[in-house]
Order: sequence, then structure tokens, then C-alpha cells
Amino acid sequence: MSGSPLLRVENLTTRLRTGKQQITAVDDISFDISRGQTFCLVGESGSGKSITALSIIRLLPADISSHPQGKIQFDYRGDDGSSTRVDMLRNSEDLNRKIRGARIAMIFQEPMNSLNPVFTIGEQIMEALQLHRPGLSDDEARSLAIAALEQVQIPDAGQRVDDYPHRLSGGQRQRVMIAMAMACEPDLLIADEPTTALDVTVQAEILRLMRDLQQRRGTSILFITHDFGVVSAMADQVGVMKDGKIVESGPIDAVLHRPQHAYTRQLLAALPENLARPAARQPVPANSAQEKPTTADPLLQLDNLQVHFPVKKGVWRHTVDYIRAVDGINLEIPRGDIVALVGESGCGKTTLGRAVLRLEQATGGDIRFDRQSITGLSRQQLLPLRRKMQFIFQDPMSSLNPRLSIAAALTEPMAVHGIGRSPADRLERAARTLEKVQLRADHLWRYPHEFSGGQRQRIGIARALVLGPEFIVCDEITSALDVSVQAEILQLLLQLQQEHRLTLLFITHNIGVVEYLSNTMAVMYRGRIVEYGATATICKQPRHDYTEKLLNAVPRMK
Amino acid sequence: MNEAIAADTAVPGQPPRQDSGYARKVLRATFARWGARLGIAWILSLLLLAVFAPFIASSYPLLMAVDGQLRSPLLAHLGPGDVSLLVLFAGALVLIRLRLRWRQRFAWLVAIGLVAGVLSSLLVKPPAITIYEVYREAESAGRIDWLIRAPVPYSPKDYLRDQGDTGLEAPLESDHRRHWFGTEENGADVLSRMVHASRIALGIGFVATGIAMVIGVILGGLMGYFSGVVDIIGMRLVEIFEAIPTLFLLLTFVAFFGRSLYLMMVIIGITSWPGYARYIRAEFLKLRQQDFVQAAIASGLPLRSILFRHMLPNGVAPLLVAASFGVASAILSEATLSFLGLGLVDDPSWGQMLNQAVRSSTFNWWMAAFPGGAIFLTVFAYNLIGEALRDAIDPHLNKG
Repeated sequence: MSGSPLLRVENLTTRLRTGKQQITAVDDISFDISRGQTFCLVGESGSGKSITALSIIRLLPADISSHPQGKIQFDYRGDDGSSTRVDMLRNSEDLNRKIRGARIAMIFQEPMNSLNPVFTIGEQIMEALQLHRPGLSDDEARSLAIAALEQVQIPDAGQRVDDYPHRLSGGQRQRVMIAMAMACEPDLLIADEPTTALDVTVQAEILRLMRDLQQRRGTSILFITHDFGVVSAMADQVGVMKDGKIVESGPIDAVLHRPQHAYTRQLLAALPENLARPAARQPVPANSAQEKPTTADPLLQLDNLQVHFPVKKGVWRHTVDYIRAVDGINLEIPRGDIVALVGESGCGKTTLGRAVLRLEQATGGDIRFDRQSITGLSRQQLLPLRRKMQFIFQDPMSSLNPRLSIAAALTEPMAVHGIGRSPADRLERAARTLEKVQLRADHLWRYPHEFSGGQRQRIGIARALVLGPEFIVCDEITSALDVSVQAEILQLLLQLQQEHRLTLLFITHNIGVVEYLSNTMAVMYRGRIVEYGATATICKQPRHDYTEKLLNAVPRMK
Repeated sequence: MNEAIAADTAVPGQPPRQDSGYARKVLRATFARWGARLGIAWILSLLLLAVFAPFIASSYPLLMAVDGQLRSPLLAHLGPGDVSLLVLFAGALVLIRLRLRWRQRFAWLVAIGLVAGVLSSLLVKPPAITIYEVYREAESAGRIDWLIRAPVPYSPKDYLRDQGDTGLEAPLESDHRRHWFGTEENGADVLSRMVHASRIALGIGFVATGIAMVIGVILGGLMGYFSGVVDIIGMRLVEIFEAIPTLFLLLTFVAFFGRSLYLMMVIIGITSWPGYARYIRAEFLKLRQQDFVQAAIASGLPLRSILFRHMLPNGVAPLLVAASFGVASAILSEATLSFLGLGLVDDPSWGQMLNQAVRSSTFNWWMAAFPGGAIFLTVFAYNLIGEALRDAIDPHLNKG
């Protein structure tokens, strides 16, 4: 690929205006994308990856953004086949509109929102086609649309072309988005975290599809992601972004295996698979390799637990069917152990976690906590048990009451359970707990909106800890966090677990986290546990087909 | 470690800030708008007028000297209602000064109101017979050394019996009496009546909306929190109440039980709660799924705390907007009723004054323009505040 690359970004700077403030979201970055190559921009949230993409395709609103310097040179292939070098920043809006969609296409992170729900997917692809090729008749456009859907391996494309988006799954919608983007045969495809919202097995399929299409069409891809596993699966070239700057860029091998910049090294070290496991781990119980271990001292026992949600129809709302979110689970969690519950979205793992704490009513089976059945307990009877079982939530933004200070959030549960002699004593305990999660005691008087995501997650952990629980359900507690923050939270959690002899049920979809954290893992699929045993054993020799598929789909650094 | 110890010693004690940043931010955003500022200025001046009505418009002299003795007939004629209003106002002023939580302030205010009401109805005994003209007659007969009058020296029900055959008079028509807004058909001063009527306008707005909000929040909250059967029954109840035409119900009640301001407040209140219940229900349905509510349940907090401490403050914002519009519509309902001639018989209200203007055979503009303008301005002020509040809590309009 000698000569000029397809896209050359030179000293691009993007300023965004919010209110009276100006922030430099992209700060003097330069990179090239050659034909048929994939350039990955990787970085943590807020590093300016998406803004870079939007700057290139010129989708930022002109009234809030400005480009004080830089060039975005793009080889524009005209309709007659001639190619001219244009600068996206200085083109007329007319030309940019022609380039957008036809020559540079973009796919977004959230497949649920990026399709218009009131048009069929066929109509949406046809509209894109006819916009950029005005001569196209409806019939031709339709057959092209079907061909595009076939290309992205939508089964029965001829029929599905008339479906509305809500009838498609998340992965299928992302395929449709790719079909729509590729329909006009663009030279450059910008993919902004296209698989982040998808399950890992679906992600693997989408990534494979994108690579196939790229090879067949020779399309260049600008791929934006935060996941180094995905980077290693997709990229030819990598740029690592931090605070609007590209701190390091180069061929994938060099960057991933011989990182030069301290930040890159720090990011790579924070990956769960690279985290050093603490030395003082408990030995894996000898019998845990069995299908269903019977430990001497199980803290929590689930006996054929079921949570079925009724599906109601008709005027009288009679129940026509059930959604079997949790469908007969047998599980024993030994005291002091960390059990990871792995599964894809919709497999019922969150429902299971909530049912264990009686946040969701079990419709069948039995839950025994410390040998006491808690399924039939009333609110009052459950109260003394509540302090022993706590929950840490996934979304740090919604898990804290925005109108209560941290002090109130921490001391109120203590007061209810009679912990601490006086309000001052409870405040003292809350302050101690905050220090345990590596926050400062004066953070007590702040409100949740003053904290970052990682800090909020620490507060979430502190809230669970103030009651002195024995058992905590952690529901995807790191999936909303950046990888370096995730590493800190995981290390903190391990440390606390050992200090307090906690028993954890750790729900996640991230295999790397499972390997780092847990001794024992359970794989959940369609409301059932398909495999249970020691983490190391399962990861090496999965017995169930689904586990194998799941493990193979995990993008790993090569 | 030193840092930790230093931080520890700083922990117990008072939080550095009193109320949440959010409430403060919303208030600032609301009153950054001119409309809302004008609105609140109008409402506050109405409030002052209402509290100090007897001092602003009264036929009794504020202070007078007879035979070298100082007397204040005005103070002597203050009724229990006037006194408790004044006590309440003074109490509110003190409470604003004190550093208390909002809930404590509110509780204190209610307590002061109750105590003041009970004590003043027991202790304050104004003269049973009110003769407005004695002081004017005494003054013209020269029996009073000197006296200070209220700014508007006529009581709302002073029909100027001593002034001969008075009736309708345009503003500033008479040479020897000054009626800024003219007089009505019985000869009473319009301005004075309007000042006293502001009490009814404000009172009915606040009390009726207050009743509606309390019922709406409790029922709507329970509906939203428990959903399921409770929700189905609650929503049917809401639909039943929404189907009742308020005006018709008011007319019926007035026909059966006579005219009473309190009855009116209660009826307007219990027919307008469904709107608030719907708002709160929708908010609670949404909030119930939020993780912090689940966390509260998982911590075993009592239902009262989950509903009113964790959910309500997060769902109350749309309710406040609805309430400011609700106050306006309650004022309009009372004005409508009085206009139809079914309001209070004796006490002046703005709607009733409009009714008088219509009943008269000639068109007396001052009888229509001033009370009508007051109703318009008050409803407008509440709507301005409501709109500014709505914009302030709308995250989509929030430009940071």
C-alpha cells in the first residue's frame, strides 16, 4: 500500500463547547488508514475515540464543535471511478453528504436504537441505496437489499427484508446495520464499538463477518473499541488514545507485545488475565471438579429453584405461558468461596441473583441460607437475614439514590438493623467502611453525582459492607467500568473478601474476570446451570458444548 | 495513616451542607428566568397583602388618641383568623432563619399553625358588634385628638352608611372620599375588598392543592410501588374520580350543605388528586426498577423509608410542576363558582366581585377590570413558575 493511504488524518483537533466552556476533545492527532486495512482506536471512556470518528465523518453539530486545526484527507472515488484527494474539514456540505454513507459509512454501538422502529429493515436499506444511487428502481433496490442481507448472513433474507426491527435480536440488528453500511460499497467503514452491547458469542460472529466482508470488498475499517481482545482479533494497526491524544500507535504486534508508552503498559497490565492473583488463595476444594460438589459447610443452597414470569394476554389477563427465567437450579455455595456465575444476557443469571436475596419472588424450589429455608419467610422474618446477605449492582449511576448524601445512604441501613449505638457511632463506622474501600471519610457528606463511576462502585461496595454481611451477590459490578478501574475494583473486592471471610456470588459475562477472581464457576444457559466446577478445570476442559462455544468466542490477546 | 486519623476526627458533627445540591440547582435554574421571578414576586406580594390585610384596609384607625389616652381600635377588632395568620407568618420568618431540615421546618410550621389557631379562637374575642362609622363620626365631631388610619381606610364590609346614599362610584370620583378602585353597588371600597379577597384566593389554592397532593402521592405511590392488583384497583378509582365533573359536584354540595369555603377547598382537593396520582404512579413504576431502590429493599429498610425517603424525592419534581398549575386551576374554580353566585355570601372574593360587575345594569369597568386582572395575574404567575420549574427539571433542556 504505497503512495497515499485511503485516509490520512493530520493534526486533527476538535473542540467541543458546552455552555461557556470549551473542551479539547481531540488534541492534535495524526494517523493513516491504508486500503483494506483495519485501524483500531483503543482507549478508555472519555478519551475522545468516538469524537474522532464523528469528526472524520463530519457528524458533529457545527454549533457546538470546531476544528481549529488539522486535515482529514480522504481519497474520494467519484461516480465515474476517478479519484480525487479531498479534505473532509474543508469540503462543501454537499460533497460531505455524498461521501457520507456512500464512501464512508458508520455503524454504531447500540443496535437497539440505531434502526428506525417504524420502517421495515428492507425499506431502510433501500432508502440508503436510493439516496446515493438516484437512478435505482424500487425492484432493483429491493433485490440489492436482499443481497446485502444475505451477505451479512441473515437467514431467509427474502422474507426478513419485510420485518420490522423489533422482530430481530440484537446481533441480527447489528448485522442489518452492517448490511446497510456496506450496501453502498463504501471505501471506509467506521465502526464505533459495534459489539460492545452484544453477547460474547454474537460478538465473535459479528467480528468474523466484518473480517470476511473486509477481505471480499477490500474495505478499510476504523474500528473503535475499549476491548484489547477485540483489538487483537481485528486490527492491523492500533492507536491508543488518552485524553484526546494518541499516545502510541503502530502495528498491532508491536503495540500489544512491546508497548513503549507507560499508559499502554498500564492498560495492558490492568486486563484481568494479566492481573497478578494474590498469593494467599484458598486451595480449590478437591471435590469441586465433580458435577455437583457437596461441601461440608454450604452457606447457600439452592434446591430446584425456579423463577417463572407469567405471560398474560387478553382482557382477563389470564396466563397463557411462562418465561422460565430460572428453571430448576441446584447450587451449593461453600462458605468463604467465590462462585462465578457466567452466562450471556437473557440466560437468567441476574434473576437468579435477585431471587437468592428475595428481591424476586421464587415460583418454585427452595433457598436455604445457613441451613434455614428463606423462601417462605415474611418481610419481618427476613429482616434479620437481610443484613447477612447483600447485593452490589451493575450500574453505578443508578445504584445510589441521587438525593441522599453518602452518609445517609450508609447509616440508614445500620439504624434499621440496630448497628451502632448512636448516630455519631454509625457515622464513625460509615467513615471506617469508606476508608476500607479506599475512599476518604469526608466523602460522607457528598452526593452521588460528585463521584466517578469507579468511586460510585466503591460506595456500592461500602453500602453492602456496612451491615457486616456474610454473603454478597455481585451483579456484573465491573461491566460498566473502564478496564483500569475494573482492575482496581477487582483487587479491592478480593482483598475485602479475604479480610472479612465473605462468600461471593459473582455474576458476570467476562471470562477474564472469572479466571482472575473465582475458584468455582457455574455456567448458565437458558435458565439452567449446564456446568459447575473448579474454574481452572472448566476453562481448560469444558465438558458441555455451550461452555466450549462460550470460551472459544472470548476474544483473547494473542 | 496520619491523613486517615485527621479525617476521622473531622467526621462526626454537622454536615457542611444542609440540603441537596439538586434542589438548590433546580431553584436557581427556575428563578434565573424573568417570568418565574415576576411570578414569585407577585405571589409573595399577594401573600403579604393577605397576611396584613387588616392593617392595609380597615375602617378602624390604627392608632388614636382620645383624651390623652392612646388606643388602637384596629388591634381590638382583629379576629382569631387574623391573629393566627400573623402568628403563623412570624413563625415562618423565624423558621427560615433557623438552620433546620426542611421536614423539621414544615413540622414546626404545622404545629405553630395548629397552636395559634386553637389559642386564638379561645383567647381572641373581638367585639361582637362592628360599627365602622363610630370613629369617622367621632373624628368629625372633634372628640379624637389625632389618629393614624390604615392606607386604605375602609373595611371590606363597610358600606359607608354614614355617608348618605352611596352606591357605585368610579375610582376617585368622590371629592371627599378617596376610593382608588371605586366602590361597589353597596358602597364598599373595591380595593379593600380585593385585598381581603386575596386570602381566599391564596388559601383555596394552597389548601385544595395540598389535599389533592397528599391523596395523590399516597395512592399513586402505593399503586406504583406495589403495581399488580393494587395498581389495577387504584387506576379504576382514578378513572372514576376523573369522570366526576368538579363544578357539578361543587354545585350539588353547595345546594345541599350551603356555602362554605372549607367545603369548597375539600371538594376541589378530593376531585383533583387523580392527576397527581398518575404522575407519581408513573414515576414510581420507573423508580421501582432502579438499583438504589432494590438496594434499599435488600438492606431491609422499612416500606415507609423506601417510599418516602428513597423514591418520593426522586419522583417529586413533575409533581411540583403539576401542583403550580393545580393551584392556578383551584383559584379559577373558586372564581367560577363565586361568579355563578354560589360562592361565599358575605365575604368578598374576586369571582364574586366579577359577578357583581355583570349583575349591574350599567357597565362599571372598575368592578370587572380590577378583580379580573387580579385573577389573571395570579393564575399567570403560577403558570410562569410552573413552566420555569418544568424547564428547570427537564434534563433535555439542561444546557449545563
